Amino acid sequence: MSTIAAMSGAEPREVESRDVSVTLFADRNAAYYGSVFERLQKGELPFWHMNLAGLLIPWVWSAWRGVWLMFWVSLALDMVGLVCLMQNFKYGPLLADAHLDPSANAILIERYTRWLSVYNNVGIATLILGRLLIGLQANRWYFKQYSKWRIDEHTACGVETRRVVIAALILVLAAPITLYRSTQQRIDERACFNQVRAIDGTQRLLSRYGVTEVSDLTSALADRRDRLVTERATLEANASLTDDQKSRLAEIRREERQLRRENDAVEDFKTVSAKDRFDCLFIDDFPTLARIDPPEDVTYRRVPDEDAIAQGRSGATKVIRQVKDPVEGRTVNIFTYTAESIDIGINFLRAQYAGIFDALTNVLRQSLIRVEVAFMLTPWPVLVGLAMILAWAYCGTGTVVFVGASLTFLAVFELWQIAMQTMALVVVATAICIFVGLPVGIWMAKNRIANWITEPILDVMQTIPSLSYLVPAVAFFGISQPPAVLATVVFAIPPMVKLTALGIRQVPQSTKEAALAFGASERQLLTKVELPMAVPSIMAGLNQTIMLALSMATISAFIGAEGLGAIVTAALGDAQAGKGLLAGIAIALVAMVIDRILKGIRSSLSRI
Amino acid sequence: MSVVEVDGVWKIFGDKADEAIAAVRNEGLGKPEVLDRFGAIIGVKDASFTVEEGEIFCLMGLSGSGKSTLVRHINRLIEPTTGTIRILGEDIGAMTSEVLRALRAEKIGMVFQNMALLPHRSVRDNIGFALELRGKDAYHRAQLADHALETVSLHGYGDRLPSELSGGMQQRVGLARALAADPEILLMDEPFSALDPLIRRNLQDEFLGLSQNLRKTTVFITHDLDEAIRMGDRIGIMNDGEIVQIGTAEDIVTAPADDYVADFVAGISRLKLVSASKIMVKVESHVARYGPIDDAHEYPTARPEDDLDTLVELSTGTELPVLIRHDGNTVGIVTKDTLLHGLQGTEAQ
Repeated sequence: MSTIAAMSGAEPREVESRDVSVTLFADRNAAYYGSVFERLQKGELPFWHMNLAGLLIPWVWSAWRGVWLMFWVSLALDMVGLVCLMQNFKYGPLLADAHLDPSANAILIERYTRWLSVYNNVGIATLILGRLLIGLQANRWYFKQYSKWRIDEHTACGVETRRVVIAALILVLAAPITLYRSTQQRIDERACFNQVRAIDGTQRLLSRYGVTEVSDLTSALADRRDRLVTERATLEANASLTDDQKSRLAEIRREERQLRRENDAVEDFKTVSAKDRFDCLFIDDFPTLARIDPPEDVTYRRVPDEDAIAQGRSGATKVIRQVKDPVEGRTVNIFTYTAESIDIGINFLRAQYAGIFDALTNVLRQSLIRVEVAFMLTPWPVLVGLAMILAWAYCGTGTVVFVGASLTFLAVFELWQIAMQTMALVVVATAICIFVGLPVGIWMAKNRIANWITEPILDVMQTIPSLSYLVPAVAFFGISQPPAVLATVVFAIPPMVKLTALGIRQVPQSTKEAALAFGASERQLLTKVELPMAVPSIMAGLNQTIMLALSMATISAFIGAEGLGAIVTAALGDAQAGKGLLAGIAIALVAMVIDRILKGIRSSLSRI
Repeated sequence: MSVVEVDGVWKIFGDKADEAIAAVRNEGLGKPEVLDRFGAIIGVKDASFTVEEGEIFCLMGLSGSGKSTLVRHINRLIEPTTGTIRILGEDIGAMTSEVLRALRAEKIGMVFQNMALLPHRSVRDNIGFALELRGKDAYHRAQLADHALETVSLHGYGDRLPSELSGGMQQRVGLARALAADPEILLMDEPFSALDPLIRRNLQDEFLGLSQNLRKTTVFITHDLDEAIRMGDRIGIMNDGEIVQIGTAEDIVTAPADDYVADFVAGISRLKLVSASKIMVKVESHVARYGPIDDAHEYPTARPEDDLDTLVELSTGTELPVLIRHDGNTVGIVTKDTLLHGLQGTEAQ
């Protein structure tokens, strides 16, 4: 029987033909696996059937045969068991210490003994049961791999020493350090930081005193201290001191303090053992050893420009730059350095382009006020009527009832005006989302580079916690409604952009080709073919955007947005559960009313 | 002057198109080698043909043979790598995009295999699309669209949406859209392939009738040789981007250029395709072999251009061979043997 015939599973085969493929797959011990696989297929394999190699040397066996899943599972099970047993080394000494004074440490002794017995039982159980599981499953997993191999020839087959070597490397890298870690107490949070500081400080001192050995350094420091002490003693012996001498005395005291700090650092350094260093590098937190000088502490402020005002330009301003002295010896890690740099950057932009930000704030505030006025001054019967008519025209009776009930809820609980404030914010934010999102979406659909740039930005906008960009929004625009609108836009715009792009991309190539074949220009293609065909998708994006804008109402209330969200945040501050719940339900109802009506309009559009 | 002239058109997809063309020309590389060496795909390989006014020219080939690619060169939806295409004597490669768009909207109508109608527009607005693109006002658009609808016997369907129509009706709309601007040229890219056989047959007949009235110059793409023979005045057969043979249906069936074409025509019924002149034995050689023909006036007679179907009709019920007469002279003779061989497509002994 040829190999090809053996590998095709469709026609009935002789037993020998399967043997050929099992021999190819299993390589060593093919006779054993041939019979096991055959019994497995026939359903004759008893459930207690066990692979001895899987039971005894599962890591070696699975790596040798390329059953990597089994390698990892057996490794994990064994490690869990061993780590549990390793607790003996961790709590054993503690227990022994406690036993030195049994009466005082009764609670500790009881606790450690209990922990140790639990750990030992769990560890032994995991080892035994884990091995049993692997032994029972080994041949079954191996058979699955065989089945996979018959479909996909790239699946690992046969036996390979190379794989055993890789497995051994994994073991050497992972096992000892994990087991060592499980025997150690948790390292003090500051210990590694202090260690780094001591090492750095000592290195600096070594270079300052021009010595190479720490012992030399200690004696150098001692020498200097002796000299200072002698000098101070001489000075203090005098009954009266000149001003020069007084200042010299103060200086000596300062130097002595400095010297004591240096001495402490060296003493700390001496206590740092190789084990401490190893612990800090490998088993504690990821070693962030880089300590750099912080960025210059700069503040930018915009002040009236006296010179220009004197020359007749009233109201002229300029940016001034103030630098604070750095804190002596302060070093920071990269995170702090970058964060402070960003702060300074924001500060600079705010001062430098104050006009732009103020203008933007003003535009937003004015449009918000207009919309708010429109919503709040339109008599409630008109708005209710409009909503009901829309619901009746585009949706079913159920929706009309729902809309009516929701609006009644707002009215009865006296939330109408406040809900209208929320609506105004949502409307302004949504309008911005449409005006920005639609062109960006079109651009993204048409241009591969634009897509490449925009896609990750949108992903970040969707996933970044909104609280983290509220802070810069406040820095630029202050606490008021406009930054709340902008934060809402950032949060709500991604679906608008993405679904616009999706809708345009979904237009079939053949339809676009037909339009071109009848003489359409690029612009006509967009306005007469692509955009109309993308309308259902764009409407879905709009719906999403409005929902997100509403759900942002609460968060933007933190930076001064008014409306229902503000009630929720206030209730949160005062721990008034009822108030917060009612306002939250009101937001949800507003959202659902808009959603239902928009859905109705959308489906009537996509019916075309 | 030919309406459509395609001259030495190559289309190579890939970055090293020029080198690939040179290599194909000089070394005669095939499709797989070109893909291997240059990472380029041959779409069209040195295609040349002309279409005369009012003629239906069929491009026939299997899928992937480059026929759809080639037809898209005629309205420059695809730019040729090299070669020229002239429409009504004008080189379209030299046209500005503005002129080209006017040409597409006014001179060339195109019908697509998958209809490619705009789902959000009514049938009437779909048909008036090309006119709308040229800025024609709504009133005249509607008039012309209704006229086109009548031409394809869909009167009264103008206000429906395409999705409300059956596949055959949608393709009629596609045809009406192509005809609405009254273009000189029709490009039909497998227009009837997606339809079921009965409707396809219907539409083929209807289109043939239309085309006899309208006399549109047509390039018709199909993968179905039967369709090509039914529709085409002339047929171009494509294989791997190359036009391997151009000729009338009879030329192609009786004298296939290579094995590929021969394979294609093997199963085609020759009854209506082959004429008497192709199979008859010349009267001189008949006389030389069997002696002079006696009682010639009793023999059934036919003209050289009569097809085999007619000869079969004449031969049934008599033992006598058929005389082929042209201008009052007997030019050839068709015995039963000759006729049967002719039907089979094998040489007479």
